Amino acid sequence: MLKFILKRLLISIPILIGVTVIIFFLLNVVPGDPVALMMKEHISVDVVARVRAQMHLDDPAIVRYFRFLAGALRGDLGESYKLNRPVTSLILNAFPNTFVLALWAALFAWVVGIPAGILSAVKKYSLPDNLFMGFSLLGVSMPVFWSALLFQYVFAVKLRWLPVAGFEDWRYVIMPAIVLGWSSAGIIARLTRSSLLEVMRNDYIRTARAKGLHELPVIFGHALKNSLLPVVTVMAIQVAGLLAGAVITESVFGIPGVGRIAVNAIQARDMPLLQGAVLFETTLVILGNLAADILYAFLDPRIKAA
Amino acid sequence: MRKSRLFVVLSLSFLLAGILAAGAFAAEKVFTIAYNEEPQTSDMQMTTSCYMIPMNVYDRLIECVTTAPGKSALVPGLATKWEVSKDGKVYTFYLRKGVKFHNGEELTAQDVVYTFDRMLDPKTKALNTDILDFVLGAKDRMEGKAASTAGLKALDRYTVRITLEKPFVPFLAIMASPQASILNEKFTRPLGNKYGLTAQATCGTGPFILKEWVLNDHHTMVANPNYFRGRPQIDKFVVKIVTDPETMRMLFESGEIDLFDCDFAMSQIPYFTSHPKWGKQTVSGPRVGIYYYTFNQAIKPFDNVKVRKAFQMAVDRKLILQKMFYNHGQLENGVMPRGLIHYNPNQEKIEYNPEKAKKLLAEAGYPNGVDMEIALVASTGSQWQKMSEIVQAMVAKAGFRVTLKQMDEAAFYATRKEGKLPMYTNKWSADFNDPDNFFYTFFGPKGTVARSYNNISPEVFAALEKGRSETDFAKRGKLYADLEKKIVIDQAAWLPMFSLKHIYVVQPRVKKFVVPWNGWSDFPIYETRVE
Repeated sequence: MLKFILKRLLISIPILIGVTVIIFFLLNVVPGDPVALMMKEHISVDVVARVRAQMHLDDPAIVRYFRFLAGALRGDLGESYKLNRPVTSLILNAFPNTFVLALWAALFAWVVGIPAGILSAVKKYSLPDNLFMGFSLLGVSMPVFWSALLFQYVFAVKLRWLPVAGFEDWRYVIMPAIVLGWSSAGIIARLTRSSLLEVMRNDYIRTARAKGLHELPVIFGHALKNSLLPVVTVMAIQVAGLLAGAVITESVFGIPGVGRIAVNAIQARDMPLLQGAVLFETTLVILGNLAADILYAFLDPRIKAA
Repeated sequence: MRKSRLFVVLSLSFLLAGILAAGAFAAEKVFTIAYNEEPQTSDMQMTTSCYMIPMNVYDRLIECVTTAPGKSALVPGLATKWEVSKDGKVYTFYLRKGVKFHNGEELTAQDVVYTFDRMLDPKTKALNTDILDFVLGAKDRMEGKAASTAGLKALDRYTVRITLEKPFVPFLAIMASPQASILNEKFTRPLGNKYGLTAQATCGTGPFILKEWVLNDHHTMVANPNYFRGRPQIDKFVVKIVTDPETMRMLFESGEIDLFDCDFAMSQIPYFTSHPKWGKQTVSGPRVGIYYYTFNQAIKPFDNVKVRKAFQMAVDRKLILQKMFYNHGQLENGVMPRGLIHYNPNQEKIEYNPEKAKKLLAEAGYPNGVDMEIALVASTGSQWQKMSEIVQAMVAKAGFRVTLKQMDEAAFYATRKEGKLPMYTNKWSADFNDPDNFFYTFFGPKGTVARSYNNISPEVFAALEKGRSETDFAKRGKLYADLEKKIVIDQAAWLPMFSLKHIYVVQPRVKKFVVPWNGWSDFPIYETRVE
């Protein structure tokens, strides 16, 4: 197992370098000057030229890339062009906010998605099944920015139960977590339902029923454990996705997370900050996938043996 | 009996505690607003936008205060008085005694010298050196040839002398701009380029102290009890960073913010102004600013003055003002908007005449019309897009076939800096109350290229230089009026559109909110009251 994990971690190094090359290449191809952008309407060609030279922006691209890479290998991701702060500290300060949001969104997705999926499978084609699957379809299909605005309008402006936006205490997490987790909940519910229905068709379930077991022990004692295998894998990948992909939710709800940093960095052509944010999020996705594989191996010994 | 007495004493104690606690809560007067951009720093030498912190945390030698809607005056700030030498090159400022920085240090002339020298020091990498590059020795300092700036001297503890290379009339007005805020040497120097990056690394003399700063979330300023003009009435000033205009509106409607700045979401103006509750809560004032379209003379067909004139005539500016901006403004015909010193109300008007425009276009060699582009920044809101779509339809009658070119912000500014951006529209509000802030910015030898006008006119450049040093008020006014006519009418180098009112909506508990004279979304809140 250890060998497997080490191998996966080693493979991720070229992936990370590849990602930095792509980002660097893309930002160099598209036009944009971070200093001109900082000055916007107050542009002065003399100041732009002087500050560009002071920030070493006029050095050849290859020199700048290797300077970045050398720093990154030492754990120094450089300083943000726009914010003048170390990239590492900007990301690490923002990450706890993204983490809290992703964690609550994932919990919401699991707590709602799994029971809904089980109930839908047990009572298939019934009213609750249609209702749950309708809601999950809505969650999967509705764009996050739209559901976010709807939630804000209903629960903050009209009912005044929750704050509109910001990130001060637990009340600020409820709406964004639900909005962000809704889509994942929908996927989990549908996956749990289909997986459970498939397992319920197996012979050993028929045997369990033939033994005279009640329906509940059959579901929870025999069917659920096997049907949750693909669900758990998806859940692990989803957590990584939630951590890396909360960009829109963070923007609409004004949450100072890593996603917002990345978007701001793209807009400001802030190469060091964008590189740092992308590297960080890529690492999260790689680790998420690795966790999913390890979990799968633990849950299904056949894979471990293979 | 004893028990009942104890009960009464306890009850009274609780009541008293309750009253005291309620008093303590009621005493906290918080003013919360939303702003659409994160300030990159509180160091005003390092930024050219987001001046909400500088305007409330720092002071300047001179202050530009709003005296009436759209009107301003220069008043003593950290300097109680100043003298200007006869040749207009030497400025002597006499500082207010006993002014304390937020760290308890007293303001001295050395702080002023340090502040301005720091701006010119190449190690600072300041973005605002334009406001000081005419000081004697500034260029040597910026190029690293000198260890200090020759024109900056502390004569004694409370007297500063600033010597300029040549007379520069807008100097006093510039000294009142946020970029000229004064720093404390003892606090700032050890921090180097880390100054202004956190609340703890920020120190001014202003009415508010920067207390907390959470990047991409909010920053909080608290009242400075030792402010030299007296403690502000507002205890706490919170600025939330909200990039989404819809979220901003909902924050206001749910009472979470006290002020809604319609500049951040112009499409909301009809909703708020016609709303039974919010309609009464709108506060507005004219702005010393102008909306305009540019002509890039380096790109055909706008190298031809007849084409530029034709375009000017083909746009029905009045209709756009009425239909798109709900008539909340006035047409402008020159370079100087209303409220600016030397504003010329008699500037020749630009007529709307699509027929004449068509004829002019034919005379210019385009009898079958001409193709052209208008560049737009995709991310800066729909108002520019809508306005340009209207213009696109209007000028089609005269034969201009317009393609709207969507660009991202970074590409837009990079192309513009090279002088290669096609026509675009934007607005400019005064940084300081002087025509130079408009004329030199747009039509100076470097600005005209860096802003993609390419109106290379030695005559205009010479007049701009003369305007900077002309100390006779009347002569200066005449010079700018003539220059305005030359640029807008004779050369048709730009298309002025209108100046718009700046509309804010405030919660009923907010009183005395003053719309800033120049119409910025950044303003001092010292005079504002919260009930």
